[in-house]
Amino acid sequence: MYTHSNKCRAAWLILLFFFFTRGPVPAGAEGELPPAAGHQVDFEKEIRPLLSDRCFKCHGAKKQKSGLRLDVGASALKGGDSGAVIRPGKSAESRLVLLVSGADKKVVMPPRGKRLTPAQIGLLRAWIDQGAAWPEDPAGSARIESGHWSLQPVRKPAPPAIEGTDWVRNPIDAFVLARLREKGLKPNSMADRETVIRRLAFTLLGLPPSPAEVKAFVDDKDPAAYSDLVERLLASPHYGEHWGRHWLDVARYTESQGFEYDRLRNNAWHYRDYVIRSFNSDKPYDRFMMEQVAGDVLKPVMSDGIIATSLLVCGPWDQAGNSQRNQTQRLKTREEEMEDLVSCVSQGFLGMTVNCARCHAHKFDPIPQTDYYRIKSVFDGVIHGERDFGSQAEREARQEKVAALNAQIEKLTARVGELEKTARERIHARKGKKAPAAPAGPQPIALWNFENGSLQDQVGGMHAKLNGSARVERGRLILDGKNSFASTAPLGRDVSEKTLEAWVHLPTLDQGGGGVISLQVNNGSVFDSIVYAERKKRAWMAGSNGFVRTRDLSAPAESSAPATAVHMAIVYGADNSISLYRNGQLYGQSYKQGGRISYRKGQAQVLFGLRHNGASNGFLKGEIEQAALYGRALSVEEIRTSFSSRGSFVPLEAVLKELTAKQRDTRAALMAEAEKIRGQINALPRGGGKTYAGRRQQPKPTHRLIKGNVRDPAEVVRPGALSVISDPPGDFGLAENAPEAERRIHFARWLADPKNPLPARVMANRVWHYHFGRGIVGSPNDFGSLGEAPTHPELLDWLAATFVERGWKLKELHRLIVHSSAWLQASTWDRKSSGIDSESRLLWRYPPRRLEAESIRDSMLAISGKLNTQMGGPSYRPFSISNFGSSFYKIKDQEGPQFDRRSVYRMNVNSGKDPLLDVFDCPDPSVKSPRRQSTTTPLQALSLMNNSLVQRLSKSFAARLQQEAGTGGAGPIERAWLYAFARKPGGDELQRCETIAKEHGLETVCWVIFNASEFLYVR
Amino acid sequence: MYAEHEAATEQTTSDPMSRRHFLWKNGVGLGGLALTWMLQREAAANGDGSVTGGLHFPARAKRVVQIFCMGGMSQMDTFDHKPALEKLHGKKLQGRGELRGFFGQPGLIMKSPFEFKRHGKSGSWVSSILPNIATCVDECCFLHSMVAKSNNHTPATFQMNTGFTLNGFPCMGSWLSYGLGTENDNLPSFVTLPDPRGMPAGGSINWAAGFLPAAHQGVAFNTSGSELVRDLRTPADVSAAKRKAGLTLLNDMNRKFLTDNPGNSDLAARLRSYELAGAMQLSIPEAQDFSGESPAIRSLYGLDNKASEGIGRNCLIARRLLERGVRFVQIINGGAFGSPRINWDAHESVVKNHTKMAASMDQPFAGLIKDLNQRGMLDDTLVLLTTEFGRGPATQGINRPGRDHHPDAFTFFMAGAGLKKGFHYGESDDIGFAVADKPTTIHDFHATVLHMMGIDHKKLTYYHNGIQRRLTDVHGHVIKGIIA
Repeated sequence: MYTHSNKCRAAWLILLFFFFTRGPVPAGAEGELPPAAGHQVDFEKEIRPLLSDRCFKCHGAKKQKSGLRLDVGASALKGGDSGAVIRPGKSAESRLVLLVSGADKKVVMPPRGKRLTPAQIGLLRAWIDQGAAWPEDPAGSARIESGHWSLQPVRKPAPPAIEGTDWVRNPIDAFVLARLREKGLKPNSMADRETVIRRLAFTLLGLPPSPAEVKAFVDDKDPAAYSDLVERLLASPHYGEHWGRHWLDVARYTESQGFEYDRLRNNAWHYRDYVIRSFNSDKPYDRFMMEQVAGDVLKPVMSDGIIATSLLVCGPWDQAGNSQRNQTQRLKTREEEMEDLVSCVSQGFLGMTVNCARCHAHKFDPIPQTDYYRIKSVFDGVIHGERDFGSQAEREARQEKVAALNAQIEKLTARVGELEKTARERIHARKGKKAPAAPAGPQPIALWNFENGSLQDQVGGMHAKLNGSARVERGRLILDGKNSFASTAPLGRDVSEKTLEAWVHLPTLDQGGGGVISLQVNNGSVFDSIVYAERKKRAWMAGSNGFVRTRDLSAPAESSAPATAVHMAIVYGADNSISLYRNGQLYGQSYKQGGRISYRKGQAQVLFGLRHNGASNGFLKGEIEQAALYGRALSVEEIRTSFSSRGSFVPLEAVLKELTAKQRDTRAALMAEAEKIRGQINALPRGGGKTYAGRRQQPKPTHRLIKGNVRDPAEVVRPGALSVISDPPGDFGLAENAPEAERRIHFARWLADPKNPLPARVMANRVWHYHFGRGIVGSPNDFGSLGEAPTHPELLDWLAATFVERGWKLKELHRLIVHSSAWLQASTWDRKSSGIDSESRLLWRYPPRRLEAESIRDSMLAISGKLNTQMGGPSYRPFSISNFGSSFYKIKDQEGPQFDRRSVYRMNVNSGKDPLLDVFDCPDPSVKSPRRQSTTTPLQALSLMNNSLVQRLSKSFAARLQQEAGTGGAGPIERAWLYAFARKPGGDELQRCETIAKEHGLETVCWVIFNASEFLYVR
Repeated sequence: MYAEHEAATEQTTSDPMSRRHFLWKNGVGLGGLALTWMLQREAAANGDGSVTGGLHFPARAKRVVQIFCMGGMSQMDTFDHKPALEKLHGKKLQGRGELRGFFGQPGLIMKSPFEFKRHGKSGSWVSSILPNIATCVDECCFLHSMVAKSNNHTPATFQMNTGFTLNGFPCMGSWLSYGLGTENDNLPSFVTLPDPRGMPAGGSINWAAGFLPAAHQGVAFNTSGSELVRDLRTPADVSAAKRKAGLTLLNDMNRKFLTDNPGNSDLAARLRSYELAGAMQLSIPEAQDFSGESPAIRSLYGLDNKASEGIGRNCLIARRLLERGVRFVQIINGGAFGSPRINWDAHESVVKNHTKMAASMDQPFAGLIKDLNQRGMLDDTLVLLTTEFGRGPATQGINRPGRDHHPDAFTFFMAGAGLKKGFHYGESDDIGFAVADKPTTIHDFHATVLHMMGIDHKKLTYYHNGIQRRLTDVHGHVIKGIIA
């Protein structure tokens, strides 16, 4: 480093004094200039930043005053209007030096602001004297040297030779034990089997082991039992859910925009599913990285690749800032967005805080400011928003599969129909009625006939309930047109093509706006409905939200007498056509308008007598005899058949009664099979759709920004990666206007190059971190010099090298780790060891840790028997949303299986955090969180004491225990202990719990368990 | 067990902040509470028994109360009197530099629709919409040269709260909680009182702890709902006997687990956390139990007036919390940006909007200042009135009597502990467009607040993803000129 001595400075001041008091001094005299620096000057580190901060504004890309441009080597060396300003080898004769030093009295550069310091002038002089080397490429060839450990190539060190112990099970242990011995520490012996299985299940799956698993493992004396257990857990789909959540922390995965409006991102969840799938299939990590950076442009482009790039836009997005009129502020908003992206990519994959170099060279790490801008240039074409995913090939493949599966379903339902048909015919024969013309008739998914006062859905589970003064009499639903309607339980399956049908009596024809039967999204914001006379007197129409699918039709005015039922049906076809039928005849014309809505299972319901929730003028005065919902578009013939077969519908109960027990079983099996196939259809990767993966555009060349100021651009920077890494080279050889896709492809390849020293180390360390609660490097996102030094550098390298060798497979790392003694040892504390290494960073014991927020909630659900293990798909939303400029999320503890899913499927909204998860340190979605906090606060205690979910699950847990182990005595308590602690009760635990269960109910014991430290900690 | 930890940390360093930092950074597993107790014992052992000895030097203030006027309070219609606007009224706004309005449609210069008068011995100008605050001006120290980074509500609000314009950074209250802990374990150290008319845009983002431990996030009291804090009350169907039986068993089990698993300090912290939770169940509801407050006090806070009742209640709760040792109370005046407006965002009409907003907080906030003063608490309480930015001198569009956002010169005031009284610092230009003297950034303001609390803003740091983060980023100078 150059240091300017005080003596020197004094001399310089005297000289300056001389200049200003004695008049002009002839330029070019060496003695009057500050001395040249005495070291080999680094252009990128020392000269370019100086020129760019002080000269580029007037002599850069935008302006070239006096014809001089200093941001490009060739022009700088050529000089300006008045000739060369740099004379390599001769600093004292270089005009540049004379101008900045004040040696030329007439002109001083820079003209405004502080003068250059003598030290800075000394640097310029030394650089010129050393030949004024101007590296061709600002980003690449002038490489920075660094001796920092994480930037050195990964080598695979041989494990240290350890003797005199059987503690060493694999190389990990050799490294760990060697370090322990250095410090005079001794590791613990193995933990007992109960502790091990609980630790393993929580570490790999984030869930407790079941009593059966505990018992089987504890009793299994086969030496291979542990390996089998490990393999079984690694193969569990819960593994991807738990480890995927870890990655989502790093990816700052959020499902709302943040900032002022905080609008939902309804289609961000595809990325969450992609991550879970990738972990479960043990996708090689190099591939995983590449997909997230450039999956949308790496051939062959598939859905997963497109969805993977959501990582780039997972962070918050300032909608107001992006739409405002002020351009400077808009540019700033964009720069902030890019910083979020660059930090996520650089910290997540590289463990480097490149974002610190946005305004100046990194203060601690060898990252010049240009590095920030060249990585920014890689991603400059990425903008926030949704895009389509899916390829033609995938869509076709899916359609083929769906068609095949649907054909199977049809066969199955036809067989159900046959069974029912014979039963119906028998019933009709007995009643002396003629069998219906078309015996099987179209099969609805829900049908209500209101016979015998019933509000039951005669086919499925969409039972209705009455509202207002609605009532059922004479086999009809009676509606007063004022406030009465009926609403049903949620839809039991997805419905898109469909038919709505009803027989309705209108006591008065001059009414308007009432809905007969509507299918609506639960809050009424989207609906399709058979509506009477809303826009045109005495006319039927297909009602819809905002009339988007509604058209006024030319048809004769309604004139039916009150005593005569009108049969109305609306068919919503696969081709998006909408056709109304009145008494079996087409009503007006079929039309296409506004597309077709897909109603989701559990998220929609049927209304009778009300157009949609919240429609104050949507009540019908009338009587409904029968209504049905079909999960497909009926043909004209089917509509006619149905119309003519009215009244012949035999309630399902009667049909079932008519069947033999064996037929009933067959029917149930057929239906279950059909349901299973429907599940398979749902689980098929969607051949396409929208996902929040951002859009792409060809960006303008990227400028370095002086001090990060959007109004102060310096030289153009070419896309590239870290200049400090020479192999693989961070200079991609791409031009400043290289195609957007090329930039990311090069970056992806650079990341995944096995020679790149960072990604394998960073990921191996993350894996270690989640196994031990602390990484070998304690700062998993920062492998720079401000980050923590590795406790076991050689072990980290051994792991990183092994990771790459074994195909970048995470499960390989898991196997290595969980089979080591370091991981399997007990967590027993020791005073002496603690005095040397209080946190057990060197692993003299297994460090106990508190469960993460999600695991606490998931485990409570799991042991209560309430956990809904449904994987994937749209997130559950435990809140109601209101809009007042911004979106507000009112958190509710909602009951129902759709809310009892694992917490990773919770809609991750910035301002809608779950209070229970929140107190247990679940981070802000927008914060990149390589490491969870683990705090202990009274608010946590209040949550576990009083939160409604905890209360509810205490009761469910108690009910489950009683069901499985009897209502009294030791049974349920012993079982509870197995569920929660993977052990049997000891001491007076059993007796005390029995007493409390007797006096205050078993749920009080369950409540205690949820609050117990032993439940919340893994040891 | 604590002894062990303390021994370990004392070897590391004796500087209290570094020790704190060491503990957090190295994740000893100590919860926020355990840390807080330790600090308290430390303070008690070190000095006069007061916890707020200041971290780096003696503190002038022990606690802070802030009213945040959300939406952008107009400086030239409240505290920054600009007679030149009258002369230029109706003229074009030209030659003043870049306009940073949000909607980019500047109309003509508009004089304040309100009458200004001098008040108090200091002769401070206050407009007619703030008659009660006008009677407190001799206690206040006005900063007329504030500059914000963003012209956009939420980033500017983030900056006001956290020093940064992005999501994910800790609030000033969180920093204070992290740095100083609490004076009363039975109450949170950082409490936010949202406007009863509605939550601010972004909701809980506004009092988040960012990357600081969750223990330091603001606890929002829902003063208009049935339960101040979520999950505070024992559920109705759980009898006292049942709860007691459960807690007794729990306590014994947790104690046994601690004994069986020594060397884990957070297990001890968990035991204590249940005692504190029980205490909180009593002490939090007490904050809004006004039965002991006289009618005079109630009317001092404007509780007898419909327009000011909501903020009045919150101001009174704030005083009660401050009395009981809460470190930082933030009163939010204004909700989100829907229609009709319930904040200071006067795009359409300054008269209509500011008259209504001023009426909601003038009496309550003035009441709070006076009440703190009469109780002698103003001497060691820092009172802040802030907003995210000001408003421009021109109308927004032609013939529309509203003003657009303006981040380049606006006014705050501070009062209380150790500050000059009846003082005016910095100046905006003749029309309140730009700063004419002593430009003051939000970082400067934050540095000063920390300074008054005995904290060097450059030393209160927390490591996160590669950077020792500060409330003041890499900026900020203590505004020495306003300290008495």
